[in-house]
Amino acid sequence: MAEKKKKGLKVNKAIGEAIAKCYQDAQTKRPLAWSLLAGGNPLIEIAHAAGIQLVFPENYGAACSTKHASGRYCEIAEAHDYSSDLCSYCRNCFGYIFAQDAEPPQGGMPEPDLFLMTTNACVHYIKWFDSLRLMYNKPLVMVNTPRVMDKGRVEDYYLEHTVREIEGAIAEIERITNIKVTHEKLSEAVKLSDELNDYWREIIEMQKAVPAPMNLPDIGNVLFPVVGLRGTREGVELMKQTYTEVKQCVAEKRGAIEEEKHRLMFLNIPLWYNLRLAGYFAEKGACFPFMDYAFYVWPPVKMDPSRPIESLAAKALYGQLNEGPDAQIDNLIRDIKEFHIDGVVIHSDRSCKVMSLGLLDAARIIRETYHIPVLVFDLDHTDERVYSDAEFKNRVDAFLEMLE
Amino acid sequence: MLYQSKERRDGALQELRYSVSNNSEVLQSAKDKTGRKIVGVFHSVVPEELIYAAGLHPTRLFAHFDEPITLADAHMQTFFCSNVRAIWDQVLKGKYPYLNGVVIPTACEAVDYIYQTWKRHNPYEFVTSVVLPFKKTENALSFLAAEIGRLKKSLEGFTGREISSDSLHHAIELYNKNRELLKKLYELRKSESPPLCGVDAYYAVMSGFILDKEQHNVLLEQLLGELQSRSDSPRADVRLLVSGGCMIDVRVLEAIESLGAVIVADDTNTGSRSFWHQVDAAKDPLSALASRCMAVPSPFTTSSEERLQYISEMIREYRVDGVVFAIQKYCESEKFDLPFLEGEIRGRFGVPTTYVETDYLADIAPLKTRVEAFIESLKAV
Ligand code: SF4
Ligand code: SF4
Repeated sequence: MAEKKKKGLKVNKAIGEAIAKCYQDAQTKRPLAWSLLAGGNPLIEIAHAAGIQLVFPENYGAACSTKHASGRYCEIAEAHDYSSDLCSYCRNCFGYIFAQDAEPPQGGMPEPDLFLMTTNACVHYIKWFDSLRLMYNKPLVMVNTPRVMDKGRVEDYYLEHTVREIEGAIAEIERITNIKVTHEKLSEAVKLSDELNDYWREIIEMQKAVPAPMNLPDIGNVLFPVVGLRGTREGVELMKQTYTEVKQCVAEKRGAIEEEKHRLMFLNIPLWYNLRLAGYFAEKGACFPFMDYAFYVWPPVKMDPSRPIESLAAKALYGQLNEGPDAQIDNLIRDIKEFHIDGVVIHSDRSCKVMSLGLLDAARIIRETYHIPVLVFDLDHTDERVYSDAEFKNRVDAFLEMLE
Repeated sequence: MLYQSKERRDGALQELRYSVSNNSEVLQSAKDKTGRKIVGVFHSVVPEELIYAAGLHPTRLFAHFDEPITLADAHMQTFFCSNVRAIWDQVLKGKYPYLNGVVIPTACEAVDYIYQTWKRHNPYEFVTSVVLPFKKTENALSFLAAEIGRLKKSLEGFTGREISSDSLHHAIELYNKNRELLKKLYELRKSESPPLCGVDAYYAVMSGFILDKEQHNVLLEQLLGELQSRSDSPRADVRLLVSGGCMIDVRVLEAIESLGAVIVADDTNTGSRSFWHQVDAAKDPLSALASRCMAVPSPFTTSSEERLQYISEMIREYRVDGVVFAIQKYCESEKFDLPFLEGEIRGRFGVPTTYVETDYLADIAPLKTRVEAFIESLKAV
């Protein structure tokens, strides 16, 4: 079968440039912070409000992986006694540091002035950034959010605690960088973040269209502004462009792939080293309008710029990584229907425990509820060494046959 | 030679050991006798005093050591810690018939997320959580005190009875006494010729996770009496500290001590970390309980620097010759700290270290070979 023309959003180019610019600016601009991304880290908006340049070690893991540099970085980290049990984002980061390459992917992440993290994703976060703090002897600003153990049960004192944590973090950032984070600056950042989020919500909604305007690689790309540029004008502009283009695609019934025969859901983090796999599915007429990583991890909390800290606190607490798989399964069952999904591909990711626990239950519940094919595979999102193309494609072929 | 004399098998130690080896039976008969419902907990960061004060019998949940993991594979991937997978497997197989409920803290990755699986399948009457902060600040303390208040309410909902301040006070006193006795026991290990070895200490501490604390205290007092009058213990030539997460596999400790070394101290969730810090009985009880939980030096609530301080103090006080990091496969928080701790302990304190991996029901031979080489190298110094 001849390969069908691979398409993609035009805005991808601008997003690629924005990613490259982030790494370029990181080479020269100060203060520079390494910041965590997932789960709606409130310090991202705060850093943007303060004019702190950010780089994101998780995004760097993905960037290294797409350039096929992660396998080696993970290996180097392991040689320095960072166990292969640890998340490959962390190993990639340690390996990158130890390797001291002259020309690392995207120019690398220069030594930071501070680290910014919120504990609302995984236990790895805490240990990872605590290790980095010790390696570089630079301050770590941590917003210690409580985990939400039962869907939607956010006690008042969870919010109050998080507000106090964020206030404390702002004071620390001001002390470390000597930059004042005024209420005006912060509320402007929250306003921009919320605007961006509004576009993102609409874009997600439009993914319900048949054919779907975006496929997995597009969604993976859009994620960068969605999470990394929250609180910036640039981020809003990129999202607006994406929104306009996606809207036009829907109006013209222009799908992300040539001939959309099947609509699939992808669960967990994509295989960054093999985003081409979406092309393999596309050849057989299968598109991925839905990826839980992109759609659930950053919560849809509406923010109020007049109460920026409270808004950021709420955003930090809700979201799949902080609420766990319990909330996720119900949402999946709802969204399979709403997004007209006829098959589910589940990446049981040995690196990301928080996103992987519950997926076996999810697979069973989805099969029982909808009787649609579900493919579950054990791999890793960054560490390419565990991937075997032939084996993977065999499984995919069998899965696609079931869809026919 | 196994570092244990024949007499040590008698007396109090015999009973403590029995309760660990026959924990199901012991718990079932405690329940039959007292009528108190049994509530399982994970880790030592749950304020068990509250459960006790609620008229329930708290027990630390461990996998029975004889059952290959099968049913749990449908729910938990094999890349989760096998200690936790084994527990879940045995829950599904009905191996905890005496259990009425469970309190699950946010802790290591595996335990943090098992709450969700547990709730979805809800195998017992009662399941609740305790969310722990990582920081040690005032803000964190007041958060945890409120969270422990929530636990109190949910226990009260379960039993249908309020936890009186008298009963909470009594529980705190009882648990403090227990921790004090265990610390006294550990004191004896500082001796040139420790009257109890690491395996003995394992049973002394582990039995406390099963027996009622009153009964455990009586046995510990008796054991202390027996050990204090002992004068025939051999000199410990190679003194080791074992550090790791949940060291439930006694075969590991037996293997190490069969090689001519003595484990004189530990830094594990199932050892010293579980009782090293007291609850301040003079303070507001919820806040005092929170303080103790936050002080437990497990890696998921403690920075590696603070852990280093804890371990280095032990190294000094117990005159440790070498540290064996015995870490469970997929125990990420322990593994994260390992490069830093090994580097500092060797570099800053000049104490050799080695690292071995443990896994539920795994073959112990490779571990033994590695530790043997380590002990030989220590002897050669
Ligand atoms: S374990 Fe998952 S959430 Fe945590 S850093 Fe890795 S990929 Fe992100
Ligand atoms: S051994 Fe580690 S991963 Fe397993 S339960 Fe204990 S602390 Fe958690």
